Amino acid sequence: GKWKNKERVLIFSSRGINFRTRHLMQDLRTLMPHSKADTKMDRKDQLFVINEVCEMKNCNKCIFFEAKKKQDLYMWLSNIPEGPSAKFLVQNVHTLAELKMTGNCLRGSRPLLSFDPAFDKEPHYALLKELFIQIFSTPQYHPKSQPFVDHVFTFTITDERIWFRNYQIIEEDASLVEIGPRFVLNLIKIFQGSFGGPTLYENPHYQSPNMHRRLVRLSVAAKFREKQQVKEAQKIKKTGSKVLIKEDPTEVVFETPSEEKPVEIQLVKPESKPIVKDKKKPRKIQRKKQKKLFRTE
Amino acid sequence: LCSPQLQEALRSGALKPGLNVVLEERPKRRNDVDGLKQCLSEFRQPLAWVERLDVTLGQVLDPVSQNASNKDAVDPENDFQREMSFYRQAQAAVLEALPRLRKLQIPTRRPDDYFAEMAKSDQQMQKIRQKLKSKQEAMERSEKAKQLRAMRKYGKKVQTEILQRRQKEKKNMLNAVKRYQKGLSDKLDFLEEEQTSSKGNKKGSASQRTKKGPNAKRRYKNQKFGFGGKKKGSKWNTKESFNDVSSFRSKVAHNKGPGKAGKGGKKALNKRPGKRARQKMKSRAR
Repeated sequence: GKWKNKERVLIFSSRGINFRTRHLMQDLRTLMPHSKADTKMDRKDQLFVINEVCEMKNCNKCIFFEAKKKQDLYMWLSNIPEGPSAKFLVQNVHTLAELKMTGNCLRGSRPLLSFDPAFDKEPHYALLKELFIQIFSTPQYHPKSQPFVDHVFTFTITDERIWFRNYQIIEEDASLVEIGPRFVLNLIKIFQGSFGGPTLYENPHYQSPNMHRRLVRLSVAAKFREKQQVKEAQKIKKTGSKVLIKEDPTEVVFETPSEEKPVEIQLVKPESKPIVKDKKKPRKIQRKKQKKLFRTE
Repeated sequence: LCSPQLQEALRSGALKPGLNVVLEERPKRRNDVDGLKQCLSEFRQPLAWVERLDVTLGQVLDPVSQNASNKDAVDPENDFQREMSFYRQAQAAVLEALPRLRKLQIPTRRPDDYFAEMAKSDQQMQKIRQKLKSKQEAMERSEKAKQLRAMRKYGKKVQTEILQRRQKEKKNMLNAVKRYQKGLSDKLDFLEEEQTSSKGNKKGSASQRTKKGPNAKRRYKNQKFGFGGKKKGSKWNTKESFNDVSSFRSKVAHNKGPGKAGKGGKKALNKRPGKRARQKMKSRAR
């Protein structure tokens, strides 16, 4: 058949990515035959330069990985000329090479895309679903593609995040094995234009990783400070000035002194009390003294 | 806010008594629903399903998941539950899509002679297979070790039981023999018990021989050589043993009775003459 759906996706990254991100990028390039690679982009260039790069490569979609502080990975998905773009924070990345993922699929085979029903409930999720479909589905009769459909991508919404999994279809009765890669996308913003333009949606549940780390540090510090405060309060209590009560002259009015007893001097030893075994007290167990063994030369 | 306003608010009930803190207003999160919808309508491509291959479906419903209820109950922290929910969603999608693909005549199964490059290299798959094999072997080894340990414990238990039983039997036998020797019981029950316990089931009521026990020769030999006990002090020249003539057989002593063989086997018994007779013979010979 003729290849009509001319989708091309440019997959590339900025500088400062670590090995895991690089492998993830390579895995995505293997799984998507309609993708193109490009060199790393310099951080100092503005984001809308990406539009021009894609134009030069004749691509109409883009996946851009951005790494910050060598710790946080952000992913941009965009429809190039005028379409919407979205920025995500990527977490929990596992690549194809992990030995726990035992499945395998043809290189370039077309994937089945499976979406959670929650994608149809909100307008921003609906837009994201359309974006995912256009980016991740391999066009039919693409020259580098294989005609079989032997694996399925799943996108699920759990815990306000989008979870991505890739499974191999083994049998017709839908027994599946995971191929990988797998990652979690945390939506940050959706823009109307490509890498710019007015913000259409901002995720209220998103917390930037910096903020998260800061809160963790603050909570630890707060705990420590609380302990110190408690200690200081206790110290003040201990050394605190005692309240002086004024002498009340009417206090002694009703006091009557007791009768004086004659002084008795004991000359005879009092008889000893009979020893009663206190059965409630635990018996003192006499341990045998261990003989010290001395070495004799 | 200045004081009369605060008082007003307190009176009306908007402010509760206690420490009140001024919260800074959270910046409004943008959610431009109309803009999103418009963008979607512009962005959407009118492609046939066969180009997109997308399925939007919930999970496979089976009795287990029905009890666990909807996806809302899936705890994202519970890894296993979460992954199972993804798996079930993928399964539902596959079950729905495969018949459609078959109708559109798109192949889903790779024929066996179709060799093409795979997403993971053969080397990678070998590594995976090695790892799985080693894991399985380790598990098997641990299972075997556990079983061996259990068997050893059991074997040891059985062994000790047998030893104890044997010791008990020996003790009982000795006691019975001693009692018989001392004369407390004149019944040879302990011998019979031995026989009946081992062969009683087989012989049953047919054996009347059990009353006699072992034959006389056996009994003599047992008395002389077997069953333990003190043998040193068993033969004493006391009044009782001197007066005991039970082992005197007159026929044997005078060589009068029938021979052992009975028929035709006449054994010439060399009967040695007594002391006086021998002396007489000696003096006569001189």
